Amino acid sequence: MREKVKPEEKAEANEIAQACSTCFEVPIGPIHPALKEGIRFTFWIEGERIRKVDIRPGFMHRGIEFMGTKRNLIQVLYLAERICGICSISHPLAIVQAVEQAAGIEVPPRAQYIRVIIGELERIHSHLLWAGVAAHELGFDTLLHYVWKVREPVLDILEDLTGNRINYAIPIYGGVRRDVPPEKYPVLKDALRYYRSLVDDFVNFFLRDPSIEARTRGVGVLTPAEADSLCAVGPTARASGLRKDVRQDWPYFAYPDLEVKAITPEDMGLEVRGDVYDRIVVRLLEVVQSIEIIERCLEEMPDGEITAFPKVAALLAHLKKAEGEGIGRHEAPRGEVIHYIRLQAGEEAPVVWKVKAPTYSNLMPWYPMFRDQEIADIPIVAASIDPCICCMERVQIVRDGRAETMWREELLRLSWDKTRRIVGGLGASHVAREGI
Amino acid sequence: MSGVNALWQAILVLVGGGAVGFLYKGLDRKLAARLQGRIGPPLRQPVLDVIKLLLKENVVPRTAIPWLFRAAPFLAFVAATTALLYLPVGSLRPVLSGYGDLVLLLYLLAVPALAMAMGGFASGSPYAVVGAQREIVMMMSYEFPLAIAAVGIAWRLASLGLSPAFSLATIAANPLWGAVGPLGWMGLLFLFVSLLAVTPAELSKIPFDIPEAETEIAGGLLVEYSGVSLALFYLADVIKTVVIAALVVALFIPYGIAAPLGVAGVGGQVLDLLFFLVKLFGVIFFAVTVVRVAFARLKVDQVARFYLLPTTLLALAGLLLLVLDKVVMGG
Amino acid sequence: MRAGEVLAALQGRLGERLRNPEVKAETVGYRRPRERECLWAEIAREDLLEAVRTLKELAPLHISIISGADVGDRIELIYHFAVGYGTETGEVMVNLRLTVPKDDPVVPSLCDLIPGAQTTEREKIEFLGVEFQGIPDTRKLFLPDDLAVHPWRKDEPELAGYVRRTVAWEEKGDEGKGEARREG
Repeated sequence: MREKVKPEEKAEANEIAQACSTCFEVPIGPIHPALKEGIRFTFWIEGERIRKVDIRPGFMHRGIEFMGTKRNLIQVLYLAERICGICSISHPLAIVQAVEQAAGIEVPPRAQYIRVIIGELERIHSHLLWAGVAAHELGFDTLLHYVWKVREPVLDILEDLTGNRINYAIPIYGGVRRDVPPEKYPVLKDALRYYRSLVDDFVNFFLRDPSIEARTRGVGVLTPAEADSLCAVGPTARASGLRKDVRQDWPYFAYPDLEVKAITPEDMGLEVRGDVYDRIVVRLLEVVQSIEIIERCLEEMPDGEITAFPKVAALLAHLKKAEGEGIGRHEAPRGEVIHYIRLQAGEEAPVVWKVKAPTYSNLMPWYPMFRDQEIADIPIVAASIDPCICCMERVQIVRDGRAETMWREELLRLSWDKTRRIVGGLGASHVAREGI
Repeated sequence: MSGVNALWQAILVLVGGGAVGFLYKGLDRKLAARLQGRIGPPLRQPVLDVIKLLLKENVVPRTAIPWLFRAAPFLAFVAATTALLYLPVGSLRPVLSGYGDLVLLLYLLAVPALAMAMGGFASGSPYAVVGAQREIVMMMSYEFPLAIAAVGIAWRLASLGLSPAFSLATIAANPLWGAVGPLGWMGLLFLFVSLLAVTPAELSKIPFDIPEAETEIAGGLLVEYSGVSLALFYLADVIKTVVIAALVVALFIPYGIAAPLGVAGVGGQVLDLLFFLVKLFGVIFFAVTVVRVAFARLKVDQVARFYLLPTTLLALAGLLLLVLDKVVMGG
Repeated sequence: MRAGEVLAALQGRLGERLRNPEVKAETVGYRRPRERECLWAEIAREDLLEAVRTLKELAPLHISIISGADVGDRIELIYHFAVGYGTETGEVMVNLRLTVPKDDPVVPSLCDLIPGAQTTEREKIEFLGVEFQGIPDTRKLFLPDDLAVHPWRKDEPELAGYVRRTVAWEEKGDEGKGEARREG
């Protein structure tokens, strides 16, 4: 394989050198401040213009699909949750659909609504996180700090509902593991009201700011035809005017009840240009859309069971007998996630498990986006499809001006305490306490 | 002025200027953090940064031109500190008054930027090369309005019969605002605004930090620098901040408060010095700190357009108004 | 777009060569129940391009992923297409299954018809050792350039060595990390 690869690479470099004698090579990544994850871009630059780009991922490949085929399905669910740190609910939501389809499991309606609520809360936090990152890439750190500050309440809500800020461990095959009880509705509604009140600010800060407009209008353009032929997904595709949204096209969970429509910049009365600015517009509109979806869920959510298998042992026994294949798709904050799974009777582990994350589909659209852009556009264009970020193992807490560092053992103890508190029904709202 | 006396004064101004620079750098970082809703580093952080850098190894990349790479930070530092000696401090005359004028100061201000570009080209990293190209482009764009502002002031002073008009001591001692008519007043305002617009670019601060652009070219010019060399660039930046602010103050707000308050002697000089520091802080806060938290980074073509079109036109309009003022006033 | 239409179009073009077609419908939603459909079928590799061309003429076509597996002496590839995005419940998942023998794992590439298929095809090259005819770029995508094995193949004798090595390293690394944390 290696012998075959090298000469081609050389030939390509030669071709570039011939085509543009004044070009020089600028590598961005795998480690670079513009990138939050390891990926390597090689740019051939003439002056400030990009003439050619080559993208080489693979620095973060962990062989999760391979690992999945060596573990039982419950373990696979938790493994799926850890594929991505930010859209940590997206992969479990896709894999539960695939397994439910393969094993023929009926899910109670209430569970489907809860899955939607958690999924949409995640979309809000993910889009806000992206907005902060995008601002930082543009050198606008003030906006980064502002957006990440207002992102905290949604994480608090998620923590209140599920016990965790990230990696919620909520879906299970056949339902969800924890209910959203009616006494939590008011807190949730408060948070949604808070975000609704911020929408105008977001529009002012992001869409009416002259320096942001100067940096994003006409930058990283992806035409509708390219978005279609390169199979772009999620906000990247929608910003190019394609009404492509799994929640609308191939609905699942409770989404058919909620009449979700794919959002494009046209919904804000703008002409579709498919640039970075449009991607900001789409993501902002989707935050509003998510708020509406959750509000409607809270109104319409039926009572009843939250899981088809209250006992995990019964679930495992059922899964062990199951045979068949299934696909599960979910519209993650970044676009379509698809899981294909094949089960064999008598096997605890899936025989085949294929995962596709949205960035995978959005890899090819990067090429036309970088075409003839400037070096200065690289970070924002790279970030505009919203690739992911990882986590940390310790935190520093500043309280009353004094800094205290908490280490892993202490955090673990705190997390056990919290789980006991939540299970004991004493989950006092973090949001109310912190008074948003 | 005796040589020994001048030497002592020079040392005093350098140490004092450095201390003030560090204080303002710390204040800038702290205030920017507060404006962004952060806690921010303690005031002494810039000093700690420099001490730490001085303790670190000075790495010269294999692809660099070693002598140029090592010489550039010294050049930047020396030019910045020399510029400090040409500035009037409060009601005191510049230490090197009589040995050079405003034009020399403008050149001294250009030297650190050129040295950084040289160091960038010499470091052999593509990021640094891109950063150096951007630095040069940016310099070519902002030097024009800067020169117009300086020349405009000096010319109007000369037309009032004051000499030597290009000497900073003369400029600082004769505020123009009171000496010109309404047209000239407008012209001065235009020149003042264009000089304030140039300030963040001189200091490579957002939105004009394109030569360093952390998220794009990973620190650009400075990407290969470490240890003492980086510390020298940092010091040059700290001192240049004071120099630019002091230049703005000397050109446009040279007023003291000792005379109006009727305090004379050493007390008056101390009072003027304190007021001078307040004015410096005002210029740095409004032209650098507030601007850098309120904008996103621009691209190199946008920066060039910003300086070559609106800023230059504004400065030229200011100059024109000053000329008209002279015609009207008949001075 | 309904699965019936897709099936009719495919059968009209391929006839009997579209083997074991099966439409699976599910009802989703509670207040406004909807039907959601999947089409599963098997085809031969010679017919793949024609099938994709048919789908492309029918409606906007999106390739979600190609999933693959080692099934004994053959390699199985499943092409998951989403046909007809853009309208509510208008999409049909079309899953075309094809198998190729291991000693001749050649499949025509879709890159001419759907340029966006390149990523997933390159992934199949490195993970399963499938060859795609006409793919513009055959370099590795996710795996290291010098990795000689195809991890999803079950007949790779060297693969076990890689896995063992990784596990041993992980265990050792964990202990080391624990130390560092306490010191840090």
